[in-house]
Amino acid sequence: MTAVERIEADTAQRPAREGPGLRRILPWFLTGLITLLCVVPFLLVIAISFGRKIEGAAWTWDFTLANYQRFFVGALWPDDVTFLYLQQLGFSFWYAVIASLLAVLTALPFTLLLTRLSRRAQAAWLVFILSSLSLSEVFIVMGWDILLSNNSGLPALFKSTGLTLWLKDVGWFQTLRDWGLASPRNVKFKTSQFATILTMSYLVWPYAVILLYPALSRLDRSQSEAARTMGAGGWTVARTVILPAIRLPLFGSTLLLFVFLLGTYVAVTVFAAPAQHTTAVAIYTNIRGANLNAPFGATQAVILLISAGLCLGLGHRLNKWAEAR
Amino acid sequence: MMRSLGHLYMALCAVLLALPIAVVCGAALNGGRSMFFPPRDPTLARFGEFFVSEPVWTQALLNSVIVAVGAAMLAVLLAWPVAYLLWSTGSKLSRTLAALGSMPFAVPPIVFGVGLGFFWGFLGGLGTIWAGVVSHAVLLMALPMVTISIGLQSIDRSHLDAAATMGATEAVTFRTVILPQTIPYTISGFFFVLVLSFNEFIVMFFVSASGFATVTLQIFNSLRNGYTPTMAVAAITFIGVSVLVFSAVARWGDLPRLMGADQSRN
Repeated sequence: MTAVERIEADTAQRPAREGPGLRRILPWFLTGLITLLCVVPFLLVIAISFGRKIEGAAWTWDFTLANYQRFFVGALWPDDVTFLYLQQLGFSFWYAVIASLLAVLTALPFTLLLTRLSRRAQAAWLVFILSSLSLSEVFIVMGWDILLSNNSGLPALFKSTGLTLWLKDVGWFQTLRDWGLASPRNVKFKTSQFATILTMSYLVWPYAVILLYPALSRLDRSQSEAARTMGAGGWTVARTVILPAIRLPLFGSTLLLFVFLLGTYVAVTVFAAPAQHTTAVAIYTNIRGANLNAPFGATQAVILLISAGLCLGLGHRLNKWAEAR
Repeated sequence: MMRSLGHLYMALCAVLLALPIAVVCGAALNGGRSMFFPPRDPTLARFGEFFVSEPVWTQALLNSVIVAVGAAMLAVLLAWPVAYLLWSTGSKLSRTLAALGSMPFAVPPIVFGVGLGFFWGFLGGLGTIWAGVVSHAVLLMALPMVTISIGLQSIDRSHLDAAATMGATEAVTFRTVILPQTIPYTISGFFFVLVLSFNEFIVMFFVSASGFATVTLQIFNSLRNGYTPTMAVAAITFIGVSVLVFSAVARWGDLPRLMGADQSRN
């Protein structure tokens, strides 16, 4: 049956059965449902962030700014000032910025090359990229943990192949020690910022490819070819033709990945030293973990949310500004 | 020269991308209780433990499947009317709904996880599996919303005009023109949610409140006691499912187009 026949049959069978009812109810029903499921959880976090912890019990509704004060200057302010929580937020930002930049910059040439392949080859690569993208954080951390842990993986490989000895001979070993990447006997990647950032970057690398892919595959190739005909070298073409055309998607992707990485939990708990843990870890410790201070955890979540929102808003403004120029 | 350098770079990326996955997969073959790479005393006994004999893992796998399939169905059901409203009216309300619906996916997931933890705490669903299903559906409904929107945009407007000229009501047009053309995109959206829900960790961590464990939660719980090769079998299973699902999407749908590639070139 063709589409035309189907339409004819259905029109004949059912003359205007559906009234305007559904059309009018549906938007309201959807609005209610989406508000309940997508908005209320966030409102709850905000409301509870003003709550108060009761010693030895749970917490109660309140309207106090004590949690926010504690976050910025510590609970004992003004007698004593601590920037512990701000420092944790700083580590969240630091890891996320470096890891997202690293991911986007290494994914860019890859994606550019990907878009030049045949459609079939692109589809095959995309299957591979998407599979690794969807792979759970816990598995990725597990894989890198095996690779980087001291008894197996790379340090053992370094030792058995004599690479450690060679590093010691040329004097680079001391540099690694200064960076905190070696114990007196061998290289050591756990715990280190290197391992944390590497794993986080790996975590979002497939996302970077997927985010850059649409922009790069729409890139007008005739412009690059024209530049080449006019005698521009590969590097010049990349710098003067390709880069300006993809500046905005490049910036947008980095920003999205950065916001995503702000909340990384598993990689940080496994690879970062306790003194260098992030806000996400603190949120967990307060809400589900040892501290049992849900209002303070909610406060930290709100601040993380605001940070993410500010960054996205700022990026949006910059985008508009760049487009207007 | 540039060409071969390019191929080399792509190969290097692929190797790095596959490296931790390969290590985990190799570790699954270990005969003993601890993880070694390369594996010692290789055996396939761990697969039996994961799928058949160890109730901790079989129950976790069952929970994962229930949550993923349930969430994927629910997410598609939630996303369809929003995407349809957005496409057919383009009204301010529909745009707001689409934006709010994508919000959980756009913010750091830990914040939404915390919020859902409180939310289900008040509604009494904390630690129940149906709350997990709804949570994942809400978190991931942005994906089918995008794929269905892409599908709706690909419908030729002249088909709709033809249907209208022939006197078809909206419902008839929907069933005879719109639905058949968007089914591949709906299915793609379904599978995206399925796979991502299967692998999601942090939101489920807050929502389950130790009431039940999915495979990813079980893995995280076991991280503290050290790795066992059985965990690596879980990893292999999950990678296998992802590859299968995305290959299916690539085989029966247009994966490059879904990912936003230009249509005019091939």
